Amino acid sequence: MSHVESDEDTGPLLFCERPDWTDVTPIPQYEGVSNPIAPIFYTPEYKDATDYFRGIVKTGETSERVLELTEEIIKMNPAHYSAWQYRYRTLLALNAPLHSELRLMDDFAVNNMKTYQVWHHRRLLITHLTAGSVPAADPFDTAQAELEFIARVLDVDTKNYHTWSYRQWLLAHFDDPALWLGELPYVDDLLQEDVRNNSAWHHRYFVVFGRGSRAQATPAEGAEVSQRETRYVKGKIALAPNNASAWNYLRGILEFAKTPFSSQAEFAQPYTVRRAPWDDDDVIDLDNPKPSSDADLPSVSAMDFLAEAYGRDGGESVTKAVDLWKALANQHDTMRKKYWDFRIKEALEMKKD
Amino acid sequence: MSELSPLPPLNRSGHVGHCKRFLNGLPAGAIESDASRVAIGFYCLGSLDLLGLLETKTKPEERESWAAWIWEQQIACKYGTGFKGSSYMTIDIHAPLPGEYAEYDTPNLIMTYTSILSLAILRDDLSKLDKRGLVQFIRSCQREDGSFSALPNGGEADLRCVYCAFAISSMLDDWSGIDLDRAVAYIRRCEDYEGGYGQQPAGEALGGTTYCALASLKLAPPSAVGQPPVEPKHRDRTIHWLLHCQSADGGFSGRTNKISDACYCFWCGASLAILGAGDLVDSAALAVFLSQCQFNFGGVAKAPDARPDPYHTYMALAATAVLPPPNADESWSLPKLDMLWNSTKETAMWLRKHVTEKA
Repeated sequence: MSHVESDEDTGPLLFCERPDWTDVTPIPQYEGVSNPIAPIFYTPEYKDATDYFRGIVKTGETSERVLELTEEIIKMNPAHYSAWQYRYRTLLALNAPLHSELRLMDDFAVNNMKTYQVWHHRRLLITHLTAGSVPAADPFDTAQAELEFIARVLDVDTKNYHTWSYRQWLLAHFDDPALWLGELPYVDDLLQEDVRNNSAWHHRYFVVFGRGSRAQATPAEGAEVSQRETRYVKGKIALAPNNASAWNYLRGILEFAKTPFSSQAEFAQPYTVRRAPWDDDDVIDLDNPKPSSDADLPSVSAMDFLAEAYGRDGGESVTKAVDLWKALANQHDTMRKKYWDFRIKEALEMKKD
Repeated sequence: MSELSPLPPLNRSGHVGHCKRFLNGLPAGAIESDASRVAIGFYCLGSLDLLGLLETKTKPEERESWAAWIWEQQIACKYGTGFKGSSYMTIDIHAPLPGEYAEYDTPNLIMTYTSILSLAILRDDLSKLDKRGLVQFIRSCQREDGSFSALPNGGEADLRCVYCAFAISSMLDDWSGIDLDRAVAYIRRCEDYEGGYGQQPAGEALGGTTYCALASLKLAPPSAVGQPPVEPKHRDRTIHWLLHCQSADGGFSGRTNKISDACYCFWCGASLAILGAGDLVDSAALAVFLSQCQFNFGGVAKAPDARPDPYHTYMALAATAVLPPPNADESWSLPKLDMLWNSTKETAMWLRKHVTEKA
């Protein structure tokens, strides 16, 4: 980012020291009551820049130097939303090249990915660049480049909430089947890297069953899609049987497809018991992959799932659910003992009725 | 849990000191909070309120001055009346703002919610509250899709701001600033397949925004949300997800497979309490985690060995007030919390008397 160097190389000059800013009257922040809440001991640079910013906003100036000023402010305080707002207004007033603004903001986003304003600003830029009947930039190319940029940011923090929200906004905003197409391979890469990445699982759901499904599936493909996803998640559960994200995804698929949990009871069962050493049969059931020989079993998530399946089936199956809940309450998941006891009580009362 | 380490005392005096230091001033490193100082004030004052030490550990003139400063943040503009997060854009509160200046110095919905609560904590009589202006301001923050943004003229819109709009409307007992049908539909669109609510529709289930969704549905007039506000099937799934956010260390994480964080102990714990399932939480383990997040010299951090701050200090205390540990020593005993407004019951009563019930 640009700044004016001083002769002694002690850092950039203050705005009050710059000859090209003498025509602007800086306005100090209003000091009211003598004992305010949480006053901040500003650095001289921040105080100087914000004094000039108030002066600029007062006169309503929108010029090139305002971009420099607001850039300095948001570098010091990325949550200064007035500076962001005014910067955007200035960019539009100057008809500034928004592509350069995006590139300027790339590194900034990586370093400040937890700041709301960073992502909101990008949304405004991308929307403006691609809006209208004759957009300034090709919508597909812009969105494609943006997806690649987001992937680079997620590479630094694979679970950053703002970044994922932004990716989902972008996909829904352009809603181009060709853009959606790349999402499953991308999620698959992330899950191969970290199968416990819940943000990636959530994104998968968003793409397959959520917003993305509108651009892709017809009802006929629907059943096929949920079968494919069921196979996929079961393969991932086999790799890491205690991964709550994958079990939640399986629940999500079944709820979406209105398929009873008990349809997967045969799959879940081997994960709910300690593996017996003689249990190593060579029969590979592709539909129901078994846990690996070194898996940490029983899996609490599997017991939870199977009990839920039995409980929902009702009738005689409730007894089997209660046995699993008892084992969770008293041995395998004692932190949630009160919950499992509650489930037992609730199920037995329902059975009585 | 059987292998619990013994629960050390709640470091009450340390936390008071931490909050008072922040009330008195922040170092330059806190410049990022420049636009949200009211929120920091709320966490500090709220902590002192929960500890029951506001009156004894601060001077009356300090409390008056803090309240006077918050009133200086109340601003009327073409969008209505609300509070700003600080004086960071204020040039002169006595002169009308020139030209377009007001567009960059508007009230903020989140800061308005924290300002009103802070004034109630300070036992201000709130007679200067511009109620009609507030309703207009709330109205101007609602977006087409039913959501709310913090600012009336742009900025991100999400469940956090929806909650603030609902909380303020319930404080005023005036819902005319909200298109409830659209707002409630928006909230419901935020529920995801895991059972929690994301920050916006189709977002990943997150503890903080799950609280915002559930508290909003509970605060809303029954006629707008139906009864019960959360259908049993959804409620069961949400409880399941929330309880599974409690990790082996006793703390809650905000999302599946993330690590525990003191703030999510409140967001998830209070969400469970709102759903009537607070008694299912292992509150003994929860307190052990929170005790480990206590910093030696006061304040609570998001995790053990992290740096403390007022936000996590307040959230840890609020979590303790909602889900008090069994058989703990006297230091852990805190007053009851109004889970929906997020203040002590006593402060909520003050607010009800001076705002809600005052026509």
